[in-house]
Amino acid sequence: MILNLKKDDDLSNNNSYDLIIIGGGPAGLSAAIYSGRARLNTLVVEELIVGGQSSTTETIENYPGFPDGIGGYELAQKMEEQAKRFGVKFLFEKVERTELDGKEKKVYIANKIYKAKSVIISSGASPRRLNVPGSEKFHGKGISYCATCDGALFADKKVIIVGGGNSAVEEGLFMMRFTKDITFVQDLPYLTAEKILQERLLQNSDIKIYYNSEILSINGEERIESMSVKDKNSGEKFDIKTDGIFVYIGLVPKTDFLDSKVELNEYGYIRVDKDLKTNLEGVFAAGDVIEKSFRQVITAAADGALAAKSAEKYLENLKEV
Amino acid sequence: MGILSNEDKEYLKNLYKDMKRDVNILFFRTDDKNLCVMCDDIKNILDELKDISDRIKVKVYNFEKDTEEVKKYNVSMAPAIVLLSDQDLGVKYYGIPAGYEFSSFVEDINDIGNDFVPIDESIEKDLKSIDKDVHIKVFVTHSCPYCPGAVRTAHKFAMANEKIKADMIDANTFYDYANSYDVSAVPRVVINEKESFEGALPENEFLRKILNSLM
Repeated sequence: MILNLKKDDDLSNNNSYDLIIIGGGPAGLSAAIYSGRARLNTLVVEELIVGGQSSTTETIENYPGFPDGIGGYELAQKMEEQAKRFGVKFLFEKVERTELDGKEKKVYIANKIYKAKSVIISSGASPRRLNVPGSEKFHGKGISYCATCDGALFADKKVIIVGGGNSAVEEGLFMMRFTKDITFVQDLPYLTAEKILQERLLQNSDIKIYYNSEILSINGEERIESMSVKDKNSGEKFDIKTDGIFVYIGLVPKTDFLDSKVELNEYGYIRVDKDLKTNLEGVFAAGDVIEKSFRQVITAAADGALAAKSAEKYLENLKEV
Repeated sequence: MGILSNEDKEYLKNLYKDMKRDVNILFFRTDDKNLCVMCDDIKNILDELKDISDRIKVKVYNFEKDTEEVKKYNVSMAPAIVLLSDQDLGVKYYGIPAGYEFSSFVEDINDIGNDFVPIDESIEKDLKSIDKDVHIKVFVTHSCPYCPGAVRTAHKFAMANEKIKADMIDANTFYDYANSYDVSAVPRVVINEKESFEGALPENEFLRKILNSLM
């Protein structure tokens, strides 16, 4: 039995830090481990629970050191424990807004201001929402973005998985423990998930995959009844009957709490240089929220280490001036 | 694992060290083994919590046999956990508070023990002015990181106003019951069988939903 516990630290004596890390996913947690070891007075602020998106992944199989895989939340919990061992403090609250230009960085949380000399933004990303006729109506009423959360509610029902990347295929395989009736709808002519995941999926002859498919609408009265799809090659239109739809069509970076001075690229991801500096002095970014080509637990963790090193250097230079 | 880790115990000892009043945990087990798969584990955890603080008292009842208590505390299904101070606060868990809901449970105990409900000042007045009965049901699964937000808000509201009762309901344990409410995503909140919504809303919007249900 898993028991998830948010361990808030007592911060009553301290409102001012060397480094505040916004977001407790793999990027933020590994940044915390490195900054704790650099003896920076560090605070991690996390809105929900450690691990971010990875915490809703049943098993992570591609993180080095765990040949049998490790639960997403379990891995995050170990990282949290490791960071706490080096003196890092944790606060489980939502960041409302930030003021990150100027020497003193301000982070607004639950009517309080937390101050820091430097900040790492590792707030991650959330699932991109499906946007077709009917998708708003059935949001949370049959359309889900979290199979780990909602999968069990679709036992023995018909389910469509939208997408063909790692998340889609992993969650599709996860859904197989609840139902056999699984259909994939993918907009490309092929899957983009790791080959090993594709192999596992294709072993299951029960699973149907529609490639090259454009979703036209989600249909139903009270509950979802079907999805209308168009084959992009033939132009043929058809309906797939379903009770539920799980959507994995990419990510949207979480930056709505940031002040507008932080520079983003045209897709909303934070612009960084090779040392993960943003356009603002003393502000760094790491993990899924930055522009990059490969979003994984391990690349997030690597970012975190580098961002912490850059923050450490920045703080050393501050002292010398 | 299944039992609290040493780190977790240390954390809880520290968290609960200054509690001002007793927290009574009433655990209603059931003879239905399919529903009570994790009951032994949760009983062990409750015993460990009891050892962590003298303020925490645990009583175990049987849903089928202890009909007097079942009636007294309005327990409608089991397994169930009722959290009380010296009086009924309207705070219940149907199904066990494992997974992400363990956080809700730990925080509820802390609020009751300290006789302090952390609610935003801006909504406190409106919340306390509610003088009609409100019954909130929050459907969750143990593997949903967004669910404790909704459970905690509902339970805090219940602690702050005696007219409000709030239940966490594990949609996996009570699958048919959840189905009868068409629950297909969690958290799903149902207020007075009238108003319902999905997701963890901020306190002020959650309160507005309650006020709507009373109109």
